Amino acid sequence: MANAPMFARAMGLTTRLALYCLASLVLMVVDSRYDALTTIRSLSAAVIYPVQGFLAKPFDFLSEAGDFFTVHGKILRENRRLILESQVFASRLQGYEALKNENAQLRKLLNLSHPAGTRPMAAEIIRIQPDPFDRRIIVDKGSADGVEAGRPVVDAAGLVGQVTRVYAASSEVSLLTSKEQDAPVQDQRNGLRLIVSGTGSGDQLEVRYLDMHVDVKPGDILVTSGIDTVYPLGIPVARVLRIEPPRQTPFAKVVCEPIGEIGQHRHVLILNRADAAQASGARK
Amino acid sequence: MNADKPLVPQGPELLDPVSARLVAVTLVLAYLANLLPWPDSLRWLVPDFTLMLLLYWCIHAPHRANLGLAMLLGLLADVTLGGLMGQHALTYTLAAYAALGLRRRLENFHLSGRALQLLPIFFGQQLLNLLLGLAFHLPDVDWRFLVAGVAAGLFWIPVAHLLDGLTGWTNKMHIEPADNRTSARSLLKSQSGARGPK
Repeated sequence: MANAPMFARAMGLTTRLALYCLASLVLMVVDSRYDALTTIRSLSAAVIYPVQGFLAKPFDFLSEAGDFFTVHGKILRENRRLILESQVFASRLQGYEALKNENAQLRKLLNLSHPAGTRPMAAEIIRIQPDPFDRRIIVDKGSADGVEAGRPVVDAAGLVGQVTRVYAASSEVSLLTSKEQDAPVQDQRNGLRLIVSGTGSGDQLEVRYLDMHVDVKPGDILVTSGIDTVYPLGIPVARVLRIEPPRQTPFAKVVCEPIGEIGQHRHVLILNRADAAQASGARK
Repeated sequence: MNADKPLVPQGPELLDPVSARLVAVTLVLAYLANLLPWPDSLRWLVPDFTLMLLLYWCIHAPHRANLGLAMLLGLLADVTLGGLMGQHALTYTLAAYAALGLRRRLENFHLSGRALQLLPIFFGQQLLNLLLGLAFHLPDVDWRFLVAGVAAGLFWIPVAHLLDGLTGWTNKMHIEPADNRTSARSLLKSQSGARGPK
């Protein structure tokens, strides 16, 4: 080594370290306090960003190629998920329709003007007795709510039946259509008093033992007469369908359909005595 | 005489000096590896390849890699990674200084032993980097980035293995000074023994 110096003239390692550290610190302070280095930064960025973009290219390409192969499975999975979702939505929509109907019926019940001397109480049908002749439903109001046996049960359109048994938190309602059930009625057109009986069929009532020349016409509306003190006056009960002339018996028979929408809705109104509530309130 | 920068290459470098081209190429490759589009969710795990290579060359070719190179690479990293100007320059320089100080000692260790002793340097560099950022400009620091320091220490093992293969470096090539010392001592003894009778 011809040009190797005889004595080391380079600075010591620690000295150089101190110098570099000082320079770095100065740079940091300058950079954080002043904007002097922005131009250097932007210049270097102009050089480095293209390099970075170039380096990223193969990876972008690889991920795109991967997408190409995964897209089929992805679409299949998504399709399956969408089908499931649409089913869920359809079932929800069904629930929505049912709720809408129920809401409309409840509104009608709310608007119903109840007969004088009665206090209406809304009750929900919780069970239907499956006996085809003895048509009964169980509602969720009982003696704890002030329900008494014998009280009439109506809905938005007309008479539904009568409370026949009362339990603590539920009661049994015999529907108008059950075989044992009778109701004193009046023909709205001419005031003729009749007795409507259930037949055990869901949509048929009849008036038995009529004179063959009785003045009842199809389309007549029968309302409660209020004579028996069980049913208050003027609740629509049935619409006359036809008059059957006497055949083997000496009496004519009128077939009618109930006006109350029996078995259609989930809520009914129990018409309690107005003074019963007051009495129970006084007892408390 | 300055022992840290000898006038002529010593030890293994004397036998087979590392070419400047190899140092430059590996450093550029490491720098490009830092520039790769790492996913942001894994960014905290990615070691600083430039620093790893810099420390490797500081240990194995101190006549090629020195504090000036460390400062230069640090400034480059500052420009690239978007930190404060001088932040990486400072930490790289300090790390290189520590590595140069450890150099003699490391030559006697195997690969994993060297990695184990370098790990505190990598970790400290990362910690200092975060602290500097916190002190100067960052509102908050993601401490997960400390893991990158440990990752660098672990990743240094395969990298150093590869580079050892490239340069042909083994710690067997290190010339043990023990022989010289014993021979000197025996020489001294023989001299004193010769003088004794007089």
